[in-house]
Amino acid sequence: MPSEEAALSLSYRQGSRPLRTGAGALIRSGRAAAWLGRYVWSGWAGLAGLFCLAAAWQAGHELYGSFILPAPGETIAVAWQILHAPEFAGIAATTAERALTGFALAAGIGTLAGVVAGYSFAAMRILKPIVTVTLGVPPIAWIVLALIWFGSGNGSAVMTVVLASMPISFAGALEGVATRDRSLDAMARVFGASPLRRFRTVTLPHLLSYMFAAWTTTIGSAWKVTVMAELLSNTGGVGSELATARAVFDIPAVTAWILITVGFALISDYAILHPLREAVERWRSAGLPWGVKR
Amino acid sequence: MKLALKAIGHSFLGRAVFEDFDLTLGNGEIIALLGPSGCGKTTILQIAAGLIAPLRGRVERAYRRHAVVFQEPRLLPWQTTCGNIAYGLAASGMDRVERAARAAAQARAVGLAPEDLDKYPVELSGGMRQRVSVARALAVEPDVVLFDEPFTAVDVGLRRALQDLVIAAAEAQSFSALFVTHDLGEAVRVADRLVLLSGEDGRVLARRTMQGRRGTRSDRAIFEMVEAWSREPAFAELFDPRRPA
Repeated sequence: MPSEEAALSLSYRQGSRPLRTGAGALIRSGRAAAWLGRYVWSGWAGLAGLFCLAAAWQAGHELYGSFILPAPGETIAVAWQILHAPEFAGIAATTAERALTGFALAAGIGTLAGVVAGYSFAAMRILKPIVTVTLGVPPIAWIVLALIWFGSGNGSAVMTVVLASMPISFAGALEGVATRDRSLDAMARVFGASPLRRFRTVTLPHLLSYMFAAWTTTIGSAWKVTVMAELLSNTGGVGSELATARAVFDIPAVTAWILITVGFALISDYAILHPLREAVERWRSAGLPWGVKR
Repeated sequence: MKLALKAIGHSFLGRAVFEDFDLTLGNGEIIALLGPSGCGKTTILQIAAGLIAPLRGRVERAYRRHAVVFQEPRLLPWQTTCGNIAYGLAASGMDRVERAARAAAQARAVGLAPEDLDKYPVELSGGMRQRVSVARALAVEPDVVLFDEPFTAVDVGLRRALQDLVIAAAEAQSFSALFVTHDLGEAVRVADRLVLLSGEDGRVLARRTMQGRRGTRSDRAIFEMVEAWSREPAFAELFDPRRPA
């Protein structure tokens, strides 16, 4: 570098460092606020869709009556009562613990195994058919097996969640690593990046876009399978409440519990996974027209 | 001597691309590697970059570090211009503040505006992306730069500007370079010497030294060299419309 240019870059370094950190913090907090505003505002579109669904539900209620399909309003009233009952916290905690433990195990093991398989052609060839087979086994079959193996308790519900939803994370991770951009990897090698840095800067950001899609499905299926396992094994939690409501033909309670379960799934998706995704994948929205930004 | 390829040969799936290729890159020298598509010039560059090992022969390197400007910009879509330019610096362990300052200086040197530093590659035009790619290579202060048909995808005016940028940078940072291209005019403009490869068997058809210092040749001198050489049979392959793509 010639002395003139070196002097220039030096003056730039000295001159703008304090300015950059001060202004940078301000810009960053401004951006974060704008992002939060946009995220909350985007909820209106989601609400509009939900109200359309509620209208169709109401129409079904008018046609078939309360015994077959309780009205949305009635369901919400019952759900409100359930939410305020003293035993609700315990019931919800039981199911949430099972579902989230199952999700953490399924996502953790599935992602890790998928990444390893994605790097190794031999592992990919061997594990892919196994995943296809495990995905083909209905979750209800896993529950029956888990009940035989572990008896009724926390273990069988968590086990069922793990077995039923791990292949989704696994397949996502495998696909993500296998489809990484090898030309970018070559670029990184030319510039002397270590294997760890190459994974972090080249493969991981690409992998994450696959993982968020897989994790969304995994967490949704974790709630569904947990409730199903609880219903069949009668081991407490939301599933048991659903079984009791069914036994006494308390249809509004059934729909209320369904509503609450869906609420749990929505909260875990929109309060945990979506903000995380938005934060990590800001680069993706940079090139999108504003209408597509969520 | 910075880089020497000695009797290297390579084949893909048993089909030889080239054999017994020799090349010595001197201090501060720019050599253009010329040939029609499929003659193995990119393979030679990849061997020089250490991306693939040659099946025969050996590569001798007498320098600290090299950098590559690829045909496509190959920018990380999830990093800003600043992060992309500083990629090589980050890999060599430079701290964040110094890296950002160096990237900013380098961005200015290749003609990017300060506000482009925070943009992602999707927000840049094709020419700007290639500028970022050039800046990323020059930022590591390389001793040898390998260019792999870097400006084929940009328009004529911009190509000229980027060629001038390379010539000026080579002067300022005094690096040596291997410049792969299929454009005789570009080769004559940016390089000191050229090596012409055959598209049929990858053998060397001609080695030429350009008259005058690079960067000071007039458009007329360049045009005349291209004109004279393109009439020679050795160069005919470059301009043959019937050759397989």
